[in-house]
Amino acid sequence: MSVEKSRVFIVDDDDAVRDSLCLLFKTVDIEAIGFESGDKFLLEFDADWQGCIILDIRMPGTSGLEVQKLLSERDCTLPIIFITGHGDVPMAVEAMQLGAFDFIQKPFRDQELMDRVAEALSSNEENKEEVLQKRHVTERYATLTPRETEVMQCVVKGQANKVIALDLEVSQRTVEIHRARVMEKMAARSLAALVRMSLLLEN
Amino acid sequence: MTETTQAPIEPSGAVQLDPVLDAMVESMIVIDEQGLIERINKATTDMFGYTTEELVGQSIGLLMTGPDKSHHVDYLERYRKTGKKRIIGKGREVQAQRKDGTKFPADIAVGEVRSGKLIRFVGLIRDLTEHRQVEEQALRQREEMVNVSRLSMMGEMAAAMAHELNQPLTAIANYAAASIRLLKQNKDSHEDILGALEEIVSQTHRAGEVIRRTRNFTKSGEAINEGTSLKKIAAQIRSLAELDTKANNIRLNWNILDDLPPINVNSVQIQQVILNLIRNAVDAMQDTPPDKRIITVRAKLTAPQQIRLEVRDEGSGVSENAAKDIFNTFFTTKTTGMGMGLAICRTIVRTHGGELGFHNNNRYTSSEGATFFFTIPTQVNR
Repeated sequence: MSVEKSRVFIVDDDDAVRDSLCLLFKTVDIEAIGFESGDKFLLEFDADWQGCIILDIRMPGTSGLEVQKLLSERDCTLPIIFITGHGDVPMAVEAMQLGAFDFIQKPFRDQELMDRVAEALSSNEENKEEVLQKRHVTERYATLTPRETEVMQCVVKGQANKVIALDLEVSQRTVEIHRARVMEKMAARSLAALVRMSLLLEN
Repeated sequence: MTETTQAPIEPSGAVQLDPVLDAMVESMIVIDEQGLIERINKATTDMFGYTTEELVGQSIGLLMTGPDKSHHVDYLERYRKTGKKRIIGKGREVQAQRKDGTKFPADIAVGEVRSGKLIRFVGLIRDLTEHRQVEEQALRQREEMVNVSRLSMMGEMAAAMAHELNQPLTAIANYAAASIRLLKQNKDSHEDILGALEEIVSQTHRAGEVIRRTRNFTKSGEAINEGTSLKKIAAQIRSLAELDTKANNIRLNWNILDDLPPINVNSVQIQQVILNLIRNAVDAMQDTPPDKRIITVRAKLTAPQQIRLEVRDEGSGVSENAAKDIFNTFFTTKTTGMGMGLAICRTIVRTHGGELGFHNNNRYTSSEGATFFFTIPTQVNR
């Protein structure tokens, strides 16, 4: 997985608002890119992008809420901060229910926005870790044989080797061998680590 | 049973008329060819405060005031000479005067009674005082309603304006905050700061422009503007309407011809009607997909002396049920509406001598949106 630099993607149809936000981020050495419409952003959007999105909720053409829905269909995990105007609170609430990171009302204090963006960026970092980890675990899981997969599923349920042997109608010794293989292939140092991995796979 | 006037039956079988005439609410006066009073009923003495003796033999002019005093006698004179009917057979409104000198509006209807060579006239007079009061009260209420609706619409416009003002304010705050940060950092960011300050200046003007646009609308105006143009009146509210349409992702097409003849209207009221129709169109398109959200405002000459302005939407149209009641006060299909808008619009348009109407864009279904229109007579017609 290529490691993309964190950036702030600003989607707002108002030239002055967009441009002034870019300048504001420049003062804190955060790279910001402006998009004048939701459609332009969706056209260029790449799932590998890292950072966060600042999205105007009211725009001509594709609205902020619609951009959010389309992004989630494309498995975008970037946190979205909505910019809302006077009287847009019901829309903002809907956006939050759909998984938006936060919303901020116009006009806002620069520090307030900076703080939210900082939070969003660190949330994206954590998220990025998790995504990377999940990807590695999934890759390793795919190398297990069908029998090893069965054994792993029983192990993470907390079943003892004796019970697993009875269930799978094999000797206890065979179970031990499979179990050692699973730990090795999954690069799990302990049973707890293996359980964590299985949880990651379930999500 | 209480006392009832019993009309005695004459031998011929005809009802004796005096008690009937005295039971009438309207004043009845019989005059001769010269306009002299021959007979009156009881309502006449009640209405004018004279006794029967004081009136019989007097000129009918005694009961009138101002120009009506002499006119009536003149009318009779002319009729006798030329046979031309001026007031005979039809009602007419006059200023009547009581014995004590007080005046009141009255409706008078005169009929002709011929018996042989003898011509008499019978006048029926109705006191219009109460009628007038009711009319005036209704007019006052209508004016109040118009004001209330204008205020509520201004509230909605204010919300749209607040949204529009937020844009430049946000940009100004951002530019200023960025400049402060740059100055504190003490780096060589002269260019950036200069650019930001220039933007602040231009965004301030932009905010001022938003406020200026609304000024025309909030100015209260009662008077009729003689010889004004519909294009000009509509242009003054175009940007206000655009605030509303833009906030709802709607494209607003504007097509008002340049060469429309002048009209005499109360500009503010007509603007209110146009805004109201646009507002309704916006509301009707809440469930319309974004690419179909279009409102078209069009005005043209539809008859030699009539301008028609229409507002077409691509919204939910008018259902057969709603169509029946749509202009009734307090009828609404909206969840937050008061049901005043169209009723008031119709009142305004009618006082200007025009008509307000609508039709669905497709006569077989309401699903293709509706067009609301009103007509206004051009100046020559009034």
